[in-house]
Amino acid sequence: MNEQSTRDGFSRRRTDRVAVIGWLVIAVFALSAVFADSLAPYDHRAQSRLEPATPATTIHFSGLTPIIYARRVEDPLRRTYSEDTSVAYPVGFFVRGYSYKLLGIVETDLHLFGVRSTSGVAPRINLLGTDQLGRDRFSRLLYAVRFSLVVAFIGVLVACLVGFLVGGVSGYAGRFVDTFLMGVTDAMLALPTLILILGVRAAFPLELPMTRAALLLLLIFALTGWAEMARLTRGLVLSLRKREFVVAAIALGVSQTRVLFRHILPNILPSLRTRAFLLLPTFLLAEVALSYLGVGLQEPEPSLGNMLTAASDLDQLRSQPFSVLSPAFAVLLFTLGVRLIGRSDRV
Amino acid sequence: MILIVSAVTFALLGFAGGDALTQLRDNPQISEATIARLRSVYGLDQPLPIRYFRWLSAAVTGDLGESMYFRVPVSSLVWTRSVSTFLLGAAAFAIALAFAVPLSLIGTRYKSTTIDAFIDLLILLTASMPRIVLALVALAVSVRLSASAMDRSSAILFWLAALTLSAPLISVFLAQLHGELQRTMREDFIKLARAKGLSESAVILRHAVRPALNPVLTIAGLSLGGVLGGSVIVESVLGRQGLGTLMVSAVRARDLPLVMGIVLFTSTAVWLGNALGEMLQAINDKRIRDLSF
Repeated sequence: MNEQSTRDGFSRRRTDRVAVIGWLVIAVFALSAVFADSLAPYDHRAQSRLEPATPATTIHFSGLTPIIYARRVEDPLRRTYSEDTSVAYPVGFFVRGYSYKLLGIVETDLHLFGVRSTSGVAPRINLLGTDQLGRDRFSRLLYAVRFSLVVAFIGVLVACLVGFLVGGVSGYAGRFVDTFLMGVTDAMLALPTLILILGVRAAFPLELPMTRAALLLLLIFALTGWAEMARLTRGLVLSLRKREFVVAAIALGVSQTRVLFRHILPNILPSLRTRAFLLLPTFLLAEVALSYLGVGLQEPEPSLGNMLTAASDLDQLRSQPFSVLSPAFAVLLFTLGVRLIGRSDRV
Repeated sequence: MILIVSAVTFALLGFAGGDALTQLRDNPQISEATIARLRSVYGLDQPLPIRYFRWLSAAVTGDLGESMYFRVPVSSLVWTRSVSTFLLGAAAFAIALAFAVPLSLIGTRYKSTTIDAFIDLLILLTASMPRIVLALVALAVSVRLSASAMDRSSAILFWLAALTLSAPLISVFLAQLHGELQRTMREDFIKLARAKGLSESAVILRHAVRPALNPVLTIAGLSLGGVLGGSVIVESVLGRQGLGTLMVSAVRARDLPLVMGIVLFTSTAVWLGNALGEMLQAINDKRIRDLSF
């Protein structure tokens, strides 16, 4: 919010180093979104009725090879498990599992890591345990990150486009149009965003398939997120409108649209990009909130928000808080990463 | 402004074309004729502008219609539920001020780099800590603390909820106040106050605080919207009955009168908050008072 004044305590060099950490975090998120199928050891929809709500699998070492043991249910009601140490299953890299299309093109069944079966069916390795239906939480988390990031990213693009058009027209046309458009923008900015988002959400059917839900989220983000961009664009356009090169372009008879897109846009793009980047976590959080409240993406598809509804199972929350809240920590990490980059101006 | 907002929300709700009655179609025992009759009872068979005009003219007289889901007048429902939300919000504001004011004063008085770095870190952390994450962590903590889920003390939960709600406020208030104090300290009248021989604490408390408070008051008025939005999450996660949870159940039931009522209520509250912020500023600063009154 007030970056200039808060940055005084940090020297320039320190800020740069901090920004690098931020970029690393974002890179990890982007990579796990792109390669979610390869990184996930199991299908995110595959249920395992024998292992609902398990804690994270303990990884043992025999020599240097990591191994895991099969688990047996001890008390199905209290959902306690014990390890059967008679057979050891080695954990390895590039293990064959369910087949998928890498990057949507290459058909393959290799996964980054998994359990090699020595005899019979290998037990499953659940880095973050399983949910109430026995689905691997780590795999679900990866797919959830993919969905949330894609929706937030496209949402930012759409919101920026709308915001740029409104702000550009407003700053360029001036007078009555300006007063009207900025009146609407101010009204949008003053409203509690989440209430507004929920209000818009109420207009649509409650249960939606994945693509429709994604489109709806995009629409909501565009409808509610453009105002901030419009305000910024208008200010920037106003500051450039009377500059010599713009006046020269107009004097040469260049059309208004061309002036806006070819002469003004390139000059204000860096500022717009910084702000757009900071919108990413906002939209990510909006998606999380909607899905958490049960009006965003719905089961069985995983999203960071609907995975967090598992926290209402207080027993599991008490026994394995870190696994259950892992989507929340993912959100936190992403937000922190973006903030760290936002502190330095070079986005 | 409130007019625009209500019109936009109403139009959106109308164009999407669904309402609480749509779901009745799934029930084979309810005939089309019954639904049509119900529609005319609720006035849903009228075209959109007429419905908006009816709603608006009733709303002006304070009648927001009846909730389709709860079967009680919207206004009484909103009023009763908003009390707990406003208590929570007030507590959040109090917590944020309790952090921001002493910290920024101490930071300005002692000009130490450690305190500045601490303030910086606190701002970064509270700014990037989403409310939903904090609320869930608070829930996990409260579950861990108590032996059974039943005997969670409501007072602890209330303050946990308020603390969760206040986190972004702490960052905004602290950043504003601290930054503004630093800037004010470089002004000429501060030099004059020092030259008079006042102690450094007196200079800050008597001369720097009042001018530095102005932008903070504006921000405080503006952040009311964020608090109301955040209450949706905090209340849902920590299971408190308030305006936020009411909005969620209204959206789930597609209870249009209730949704409209809450949107109208919150936007009015936000508008009042902004006005209050400006009023406090006018009280604080004679220059603004002379301009506007």
